[in-house]
Amino acid sequence: MTQLHNAFTLFLSLLVEAFPFLLLGVSLSSALLLFIDEGKLIASLPKNPLLGAIAGSCIGFLFPVCECGNVPVARRFLMQGLPNSAAIGFLLAAPTINPIVIWSTWVAFRGQPEIVFYRILFSLIIAITIGCIFSVQKDPRPMLQPLLAQRITQLSRQPRFARSRKQEPNLKESMLLQSGTFLLGTGNGPMRLDEMSAATLTLTRDQPSVMGRRLKLFIENVTQELRELGGMLILGSAIAACLQVFVPREIVLSLGQGTISSILAMMLLAAIVSICSTVDAFFALSFASTFTTSSLLGFLVFGPMIDIKAIGLMLSIFQPRMIVYLFALAAQLTFILALFHSYFL
Amino acid sequence: MNVLSKLKPSPKLKFLLPGLDILAILAWGALLFKSWVTGQLKLLIHPNYFLLVFVTSIFLIILGGVKTWLWIQSLRQKGNNGETVQHISIFPPGWGSCLLIIAAIAGLTIPPTIFDSQVALQRGVSDSLPITQRETQSFSVNIKPEERSLIDWIRTLNAYPEPDAYQGQKANVTGFVVHSPLLPDDYILLTRFIISCCAVDAYPVGLPVKLERDRSNYPPDTWLRIEGEMMTETLAIDTQTMQETPTQKRQLVLSANSITTIPTPDDPYGYSN
Repeated sequence: MTQLHNAFTLFLSLLVEAFPFLLLGVSLSSALLLFIDEGKLIASLPKNPLLGAIAGSCIGFLFPVCECGNVPVARRFLMQGLPNSAAIGFLLAAPTINPIVIWSTWVAFRGQPEIVFYRILFSLIIAITIGCIFSVQKDPRPMLQPLLAQRITQLSRQPRFARSRKQEPNLKESMLLQSGTFLLGTGNGPMRLDEMSAATLTLTRDQPSVMGRRLKLFIENVTQELRELGGMLILGSAIAACLQVFVPREIVLSLGQGTISSILAMMLLAAIVSICSTVDAFFALSFASTFTTSSLLGFLVFGPMIDIKAIGLMLSIFQPRMIVYLFALAAQLTFILALFHSYFL
Repeated sequence: MNVLSKLKPSPKLKFLLPGLDILAILAWGALLFKSWVTGQLKLLIHPNYFLLVFVTSIFLIILGGVKTWLWIQSLRQKGNNGETVQHISIFPPGWGSCLLIIAAIAGLTIPPTIFDSQVALQRGVSDSLPITQRETQSFSVNIKPEERSLIDWIRTLNAYPEPDAYQGQKANVTGFVVHSPLLPDDYILLTRFIISCCAVDAYPVGLPVKLERDRSNYPPDTWLRIEGEMMTETLAIDTQTMQETPTQKRQLVLSANSITTIPTPDDPYGYSN
């Protein structure tokens, strides 16, 4: 009973510490989704694969979203013609390279600032490498979901299909000639159903941009993300608290002290618990006294890129094959870098 | 998009979902506000983040209020509430809110525990700060030995671990009793937990105290104020790592002159700066 009570206290302390950061991340990402013009952003990105991957990874700094928020954003980027390297760089790096995540990691590991530094560095290296690898494939369509690929084909037939939304009326006129499911009664014209994600709706410019309406959408977005991510946070914290209290310390210690076993264990844990990157540093903190620093880094770098929840979301963009590639590449690179850290840094 | 999102909520549920959201937001606002007001935050997180929690609770309560107002408005204009945007959802409808509500209610009704000697032994109490924690701060030499708290003593020892340097210094410290199986029967470890971020990383530090009689008079978890004098003893265990050493080793221990039992303090934990 005491054990259970202790576990509950740990659970509550994780939640209380993490909730402000979660709310901050959710509010900022909702605000930015409403106010940043992605069209302009995409137009200003370099075309060179390496530079594109670097720029894409760094845009993450503008979008303080965790992995749940960045998948829809990356999806929109791809549809608007962002080069593969930049879109994939963004997808992998954004959950880590953003101010909220950096701050929360620093709060959790104030005693070891090097963790914050290596987390950013390793995430950037991995995101840029994978971004460059996929830039070899110029046409994104074979990687994407059939529906999404079809959509891009249709868009590319529009000679003046724009990187900026301002030219979208051209597209609207020809909607009648296209197949698919449309929604009527949203703004001036029909809207395709496969564009229906919250953020797309909120961003559509045909809506009267009355401040009140934006505010309403902002609140709606904050609530929805808070509900989804809060639910994940609760499950993740419960797992962390139970592992800390109920698993005998000897087992954790023996697993956590081995160079390779600790890295593999933490990466596996990262993939399973699917905890949001804005708050995963607090989760990792509960292992700080028993696991090696390199394995904590493995957790902090791998978790935001690939976990069960993110795979679910990525299925809305990519072919399963593509997700297997991403998963394998990210896992190998994380493992190598964490191993490098444990031997040389 | 997602298998789960195909489960369409029934109209009745759809009507209730915004209500669940509002309840979840308000419940969390209330939980954070309550733990701030009642001082329970001291048991959960480092004081640096108290303000952050307070601001979050106020924001959540305002958000809940605005949401309620919007909901009532949309209920008034029946049929025109098609505003709700469908998100890519991980949980079936309503699950996320329910989890949040359940956790908040549990938090509001069950008070957090104060970690006890069991936890201290499990987490490995010793008289040194774990190496993974931040480096020892510098100390002003102005603090008189008898004014040092238990945690100040541990820090001082970490900065300069030579036992003889403290021989004869007076000490007046509070903490709770831990019976370490490795120490002889006339020794207790006077212990406190230190928090550097939240309760998850709370780590125990303890100072060995030499008693005049058997330790059974002071059961584990009793809070004590001990006045005494520092002295060196040779023990077969290393108190810095709490492991047996093959040879006897000189250790700093506190020899107790007066021992008072005190109630559990309101702020039982120490905090790393």
